[in-house]
Amino acid sequence: MNSVLLALVAVLPIAIGAAFASYAMRYVSTSAIEGMTRQPEIAAQLFTAMLIGMALIEALCIYTLVVTLVIAQKL
Amino acid sequence: MPQLTAPSLVVIGNSIFVSLLLVGTGAWLARGGLSATEPSARQNVGEWVLQFFVGKAREMAHGEKRDQIMRLVTSLLSTAFLFIIVSNLVSILPIPVLNRPPTSHFSVTLALALCAVVGTLIISARVKGVGKTFLHLFWPNPLQWVSELTDVMSLSLRLFGNIAGEYMTVALVLMVVPWGIPIILHALGLIPAFVQALVFTLLTASFLANAIHVADEKPATAESTEEATASAVAIGRVPAEGRS
Repeated sequence: MNSVLLALVAVLPIAIGAAFASYAMRYVSTSAIEGMTRQPEIAAQLFTAMLIGMALIEALCIYTLVVTLVIAQKL
Repeated sequence: MPQLTAPSLVVIGNSIFVSLLLVGTGAWLARGGLSATEPSARQNVGEWVLQFFVGKAREMAHGEKRDQIMRLVTSLLSTAFLFIIVSNLVSILPIPVLNRPPTSHFSVTLALALCAVVGTLIISARVKGVGKTFLHLFWPNPLQWVSELTDVMSLSLRLFGNIAGEYMTVALVLMVVPWGIPIILHALGLIPAFVQALVFTLLTASFLANAIHVADEKPATAESTEEATASAVAIGRVPAEGRS
C-alpha cells in the first residue's frame, strides 16, 4: 500500500510540471516564430533568446523530474 | 534503475576519456605550427570551431582589457561547450561500458556548473578587481550571492536532468526492445545533446557579460570592433581573410 501511494506521489510532480511547462513554452515559441516571420533578418538573435527562455522554463520542469527521481528511488 | 547520484568508476573513466579525446584532437589540429597569415587546413578547422565563441567573447569585451577578456572568455566557453557536447554524444557509441554519458551523472554536471560560476567570478576579479567583484555580491542587491548559488543549481540540474532522462529512456526501452526502436530514440537524443551544450554555454556567457559589465563604459564603436577583429587575428583564433 505504501509503495503504491509513493508511486502515485512520484508521478504527480512531473505530470503537473510538464503540463504547465509545455503551456509556458507555447508562449515562447509562438512569440519567437511570430517575430522571426515579421523580421527574418534578426531571426538568429531571436532564436538564441528563444533557446535561453525555453531552457529557463525547462529547468523548472527538470526540477520536478529530479523530485520524481528522488521519490522513485525510495520505491 | 541506473545509479544516478553515487560516484562510480565508469563515469570517472568516461570523463577522462572525453577529456583525452578533446585534448588529443586539439593537439592534432594545432600540430605543425600555427600561422596568423597562412593557416593550414587543420588550423582552419580548429578556428572554424572556435569562431562562435570568439564572436560571443567579442560581444562582451570592451575597454582597454579587451584582449585579456577575449582570451579568458573564449577558453572558458569553448571548453564548457566542447566537453559537454562530446560527453552527451558519447551515448551513441555502440560500446557497452563507454556509452554512459558523463553528463548523466550529477557529480559531473555539478562540477561543470561550479567551474562555470566560479570561473565567472574569477574572470570578473581579473577584469574588475577582487574588491569590486566581492562588493557586487552584496551591493546594490544584498542577496546577489544567493543568485550565484541558484545559478549553480539550475545549470547543473538542467544538464543532468536532460541527459540522464534521455539515457534512462533509452536504457528502459533497450530492456523491452533491443533492436531498431532505440536507434530512433538515439536520433532524437542528438537534439537535446546539442541544445543543452549550447544553452549551458549561452547562460555562462550571459552570466559573464553581467559580471564583467562596467557601468560607465561606452558602447562599441566601429573602430573598436575593427580592433577586436585585429586582436583576434593576432592571437590566431580567427582566419585573417574572415575579417569584415
